[in-house]
Amino acid sequence: MPEPLSRRHLLARGTAAGFFVVAGECLWLTPQEAEARVFEPQILSPQQCKALSMLGDALVPGAAAAGLSAYIDLQLQAGDESLLIGKYLGVDTSAQTGFYRAAADNVMSLADESISMHTFATSMATDAVSGWAGPPASYVLFVLRADALDVTYGTPEGFEKLGIPYMAQIKPDKPW
Amino acid sequence: MVSKDCDVIIVGAGAAGLTLAARLAEGGKSVSVLEAGPERKLGDLISSQIWARKLKWSEPAVSESGDHKIGHAFNAGTGTGGSALHHYGVWLRMHEGDFSLNSDHGLGLDWPLSYADLAPYYDQVQAEVGLSGDSKQERWRPQGAPYPMPPMPLFAQSRVLAKGFEKMGRHTAPLPLAINSEPYKGRQACHYDGWCDSGCSIGALGNPLAVWLPRAQTAGARIEHNARVSRVIRDPQSPQRIECVEYIQGGESRSMYAEHIIVAAFTVQSVRILLSSATERYAAPGNHSDKLGRYLMTHPAGTVFGLFDQEMFPHQGVTAGQLLNHDDYDKKDAPGGFGSSQWMIGHAIKPHDLLGYGTNRPDIFGAELEPWLKKASRHLGNMTLVCEDIPLPENRITLSDRADSDGIAHAHAHHDLGPSAAARCAQRMSEGAEIMRAAGASEVWSGPRIGQHHMGGAVMGSDPAESVTDAFGRVHDTDNLYVSGPALFPSSGAVNPTFTLTALASRQADHILAIK
Ligand SMILES: Cc1cc2nc3c(=O)[nH]c(=O)nc-3n(C[C@H](O)[C@H](O)[C@H](O)COP(=O)(O)OP(=O)(O)OC[C@H]3O[C@@H](n4cnc5c(N)ncnc54)[C@H](O)[C@@H]3O)c2cc1C
Ligand code: SF4
Repeated sequence: MPEPLSRRHLLARGTAAGFFVVAGECLWLTPQEAEARVFEPQILSPQQCKALSMLGDALVPGAAAAGLSAYIDLQLQAGDESLLIGKYLGVDTSAQTGFYRAAADNVMSLADESISMHTFATSMATDAVSGWAGPPASYVLFVLRADALDVTYGTPEGFEKLGIPYMAQIKPDKPW
Repeated sequence: MVSKDCDVIIVGAGAAGLTLAARLAEGGKSVSVLEAGPERKLGDLISSQIWARKLKWSEPAVSESGDHKIGHAFNAGTGTGGSALHHYGVWLRMHEGDFSLNSDHGLGLDWPLSYADLAPYYDQVQAEVGLSGDSKQERWRPQGAPYPMPPMPLFAQSRVLAKGFEKMGRHTAPLPLAINSEPYKGRQACHYDGWCDSGCSIGALGNPLAVWLPRAQTAGARIEHNARVSRVIRDPQSPQRIECVEYIQGGESRSMYAEHIIVAAFTVQSVRILLSSATERYAAPGNHSDKLGRYLMTHPAGTVFGLFDQEMFPHQGVTAGQLLNHDDYDKKDAPGGFGSSQWMIGHAIKPHDLLGYGTNRPDIFGAELEPWLKKASRHLGNMTLVCEDIPLPENRITLSDRADSDGIAHAHAHHDLGPSAAARCAQRMSEGAEIMRAAGASEVWSGPRIGQHHMGGAVMGSDPAESVTDAFGRVHDTDNLYVSGPALFPSSGAVNPTFTLTALASRQADHILAIK
């Protein structure tokens, strides 16, 4: 029987991996595994996750497969214990959910199929996306790119891709 | 009269708190430390920049305003060891001129003590913690005992960057570090793996868990974790005495009574605790002349990066860097701005996270990114400028309108950078880019200006009308309440503060032990 999903469990077992709802079942997975198994996000909508994955992958290729949206959704579930880099960048943990929802909603409503995600990101970098609402697009881009870097390269596997020895004193028991 | 729970209560188990706990307990006092965060052990320090974020201060959040915010979320930690648990170990003495800013330049404040007063404590602490460096090569170093350990070895990155300084007619010396270059007092030598930001689990870095905690506990100090102090309370019979601290633990409000109370909860939280201790009848301790919370400082700092043709292997070494330059330190009033400055040169660096090289090039994304990251992983050089912040009374910690579920008011921190300090920082950053080019970088860029370290807010001074505490950190309008930590600093200098605050804490301990 899968254990029931609770915030206490998430905190007790660490926030780098966690319980994800996959096909109605609650499983203990890394975000990479969750992404691969099409998890059911708990905070963001599936569409919002898709939008963040698409944009994140355009910024840092490989971020979607590394579990970017599952990582964001899991950290948002952790509330004050969130490990998202946004905390360092002035996005208070209590405001993080609103921040990512707004970012995803902007992408969903403003990125149209006639332009590539790369071109859309280029317009975001200069705050040139017309109709963008909420925190400035360039800022959102910076934060999401930093999250995407975290999941793609901030792990022993990511270091290996870049040819850097990880040299852990205590290796994280889950990649991140 | 209420019976005492112990001789001394220390609020906060960080750099200052655990230094005091060790010294006072070894001096025969019964000591209790109340720490807001969880218990941490060296074995909890997982090598990951993402996991390292667990060590930071979480809630209640500190709201911020101003044109140069202090970056509380990045700069403050919680749990055993405090922010110092994963600090980078740059341990530098303040220079003589840092103690007389107002007398020498008519700006900011003077310290109520001189370098000579602190020098014996710098010497004592460096022998206990173990510092590596080369005092002879540090031509700018104020007088003091030589370091007990030889300097760190130089890796490729620093050897290349040193040439840039040389070409520009400047000097470098090994960066003095509270990191073991060889086994020291039962602690291992550094592995040069660059995991200092995650906390050094092998104990090579002299953080409070590696140095002071074992001593404090052996001498009988007790540490209560998850015990968040809300305020201190005056003795109703003699209000200049603080009789107890009130704290929340396990959802319950508790009180602890002692002869002496030391608030060592780092700059913002120490001030928050004192401000929250105002009553209808009495002003907050130390706020008799509206000075509490004022003169908040943070060092303006920035990193210069360069890409080189030769191999630099920037993953090697320690996060702090390998070399130091203080050529401009004593030229506070040189043209172009105001204030001291220093370079820390050759940081071991990771590709991601706030200070990572990938994060600092937001213009590179998509298919270009991975090839660029691969190149930077082998060919990057980087160095960080730290400048002096000038103490301004308008830069201030106050209580915010928000409170947590226990009714404890949050803190708000306002900080603007004065125009002359901002100008100095911009001037030195552009000089840094020139040095990077002189070292041979084919491409040079700079990260944003950020705030590093938090100082001031409960400044020490000789005049009670102009300061919060005396030269020993005793709050002026009380007999037995002390503040410890960088909140006491009346000026910031441009050196990292932990060596100075530890020396000050040692001096405070001697003072308290001498009280009959
Ligand atoms: C990433 C990083 C790198 C750094 N590198 C360097 C460096 O190389 N050199 C250097 O000199 N400095 C460095 N610093 C700064 C250094 O860590 C701080 O200056 C130093 O730790 C301050 O010491 P402190 O004892 O005042 O505070 P802390 O070490 O932060 O300890 C304060 C403790 O008080 C606790 N506390 C807070 N509020 C309460 C409350 N209400 N009740 C009970 N407990 C409370 C906190 O949880 C914390 O454990 C660095 C800091 C960071 C974050
Ligand atoms: S580089 Fe040295 S000081 Fe830093 S974490 Fe590694 S062993 Fe510890």
